[in-house]
Amino acid sequence: MFDTALTLADLGFLAKGAAMTLAVTAVSVLAGTVLGVLFGVIRNQVGPYWSMPLTFLLDIFRSVPLLIQLVLGNAMQSIMKLGWAPFTTSCVVLSLYTAAYCTEIVRGGISSVPATTRRAARSLGMTWWQDMRYIVAPLATRVSLPAWIGLTLGVMKDSALVLWLGLIELLRASQILVTRLQEPLFILLICGAIYFIISFPIARLGGYLERRWSND
Amino acid sequence: MFSYTFHWNQALKALPQMLDGALVTLQIALLSMAIGLAVALALTLFRLSGNRILGGFATAWVEIARNTPALFQIYMAHFGLGSFGIHLSPYAALLVGIAFNNAGYLAENFRGALKAIPETQTRAGRSLGMTSLQAFRYIVMPQMLRVAFLPATNQMVWAILMTSLGVTVGMNTDLAGITQELNARSFRTFEFFAIAAVIYYLIAKAVTLAARLAAARMFRY
Amino acid sequence: MKKTSVLAFGLVAATALTSPAKADKLDDIISSGTLRCAVVLDFPPMGARDENNNPIGFDVDYCNDLAKALGVTAEIVETPFPERIPALMSGRVDVGVASTSDTLERAKTVGMSIPYFAFEMAVTANDKSGIKSFEDMKGKTVGATAGTFEAIALENSVKEWGTGEFRPYQTQADVFLALSQGQIDATVSTSTVAQSNVKSGKFAGISVVGKAPYDIDYVALFTNREEYGLINYLNLFVNQQVRTGRYKELYEKWVGGDVPDLSVGGVYR
Repeated sequence: MFDTALTLADLGFLAKGAAMTLAVTAVSVLAGTVLGVLFGVIRNQVGPYWSMPLTFLLDIFRSVPLLIQLVLGNAMQSIMKLGWAPFTTSCVVLSLYTAAYCTEIVRGGISSVPATTRRAARSLGMTWWQDMRYIVAPLATRVSLPAWIGLTLGVMKDSALVLWLGLIELLRASQILVTRLQEPLFILLICGAIYFIISFPIARLGGYLERRWSND
Repeated sequence: MFSYTFHWNQALKALPQMLDGALVTLQIALLSMAIGLAVALALTLFRLSGNRILGGFATAWVEIARNTPALFQIYMAHFGLGSFGIHLSPYAALLVGIAFNNAGYLAENFRGALKAIPETQTRAGRSLGMTSLQAFRYIVMPQMLRVAFLPATNQMVWAILMTSLGVTVGMNTDLAGITQELNARSFRTFEFFAIAAVIYYLIAKAVTLAARLAAARMFRY
Repeated sequence: MKKTSVLAFGLVAATALTSPAKADKLDDIISSGTLRCAVVLDFPPMGARDENNNPIGFDVDYCNDLAKALGVTAEIVETPFPERIPALMSGRVDVGVASTSDTLERAKTVGMSIPYFAFEMAVTANDKSGIKSFEDMKGKTVGATAGTFEAIALENSVKEWGTGEFRPYQTQADVFLALSQGQIDATVSTSTVAQSNVKSGKFAGISVVGKAPYDIDYVALFTNREEYGLINYLNLFVNQQVRTGRYKELYEKWVGGDVPDLSVGGVYR
């Protein structure tokens, strides 16, 4: 197993794949979080009845396999002749996917702030915006951050599926090397180790924050 | 703007075939969940046992399951184990991959749920003459399962969604596999995958609803 | 009846008046200066990667020739098998040079040129399986690349035999990986792919054991269904490749042996 034909250049190829994984993740999580916060606040503001269409729409992204979403998204952009590169399509689909989960997290965070606290803020003469900015945001962030970190890692792992659209990310790069070198176990283990090395420390950080912040 | 004409009538002809696939999907999800629950309970016991080897094994399982992609786990179950001469059929590889993943996440849920149960209860049980296993079985576990029920429902939905990854290891009898095969033959990607999306959505909703009803019955006291 | 035809005529007239004369895809390619080809790169010797992970293969050279004929530069866009059509539909590629079988089912969706290559089907088996011919595959576990000509034919054979199991994999590479691991006992693939994989020496314990009694798999270049100008050009290009001997030259470079005949006797095309 150790007399491998894997060269330094191939490791570089894997690293490029890992960089692609991280790039897709970063763009999707960023866009998804912005959308998620927006949708979360809207859902909290207009109440369950009026936000039903939005709830339903976001629910679809959580009830259909990501693989199907990606293929459908890609087919849709091709029918509409948008001419998106696979990277764009992947990021758009993953962003919406992230937003759907992020909305739930944000909503949970906001509703964890006691109504009395918010009323107190408003009766001190704060505007809605000030209340949101200085009272709700700090408290809700504390509650939501561990779940958000979990979501980010989830998106990072799920981003492996973009290989279906021909994007050469970490797992696809590994498959290409397996095809050429025929050392499936060794290369797959390296691939798994890279995922683990990226994910594990951040997961631990999330767990640490959860423990530390749940005490007070 | 569109130069694409939808051929829905041709795609809908394949609906019975796709519904058959949906049954296989549901079957794999349920089986993987049952296996996952059993393994997760074992892993939880390992962690509680105080034995460092068993505890380390359980922790390693949970961390690997939670920190690598499900697609990777399934690919590994088929081609990785294949390098050792262990040959799993696509169905078995998919089942093993998802069950592995389920067990990891469920064990972590159980760990969270255990925190909600005061240790004094176990001690009370022990002082009534129960063995530690009995105390776990009759006092801790029922409460733990109740707290962990909602996250487990989510995991069940996840399991359904994960079955779609079987196509990468040659699965052709589940919903995603059948959809992909229809697509490869006719290149009518949008129509077939849109139908598949609707079916997945309905399955996920049905399972969530069933779990809620079950919870209302089981935990009404 | 009369009313609808009047309405239809009106619509046609209206669109004829409003839509300006539009440059077609052939014009677009020439004026953009780049020809973007969809090529499958895990399908040696048609498409593969060299040790620097750069694209090489028959299809890659074919795309370069086409670009040269058009007087533009070629751009190879790697597409996995399932991604070929979405890539075309979304305008990410202009032409598919991707060993695509010209089935009638697919021609409902994309426009196919005349065949530019023809595959014969060969059986490759794992040595441990004891399979010595096509008939021996009966009752065994067999596999092929999902959705390809040979996969459809093989799946039908398995259904006819009524015993054994068929497994479709998403890439040709996974099929041979599964075969060498013994996950499947045999596969039917194009003989070029079979020879190239067996000869590469990367897979231990597999060998080509014979021909499969399937029709010859003609593969075509493809582009959007309505781009007649481009399809005409592609047809002439394929014809010229054969006429000038370039087809033979490429065949010898990548495959070797007798050059397959691209014409069918007894019928016009």
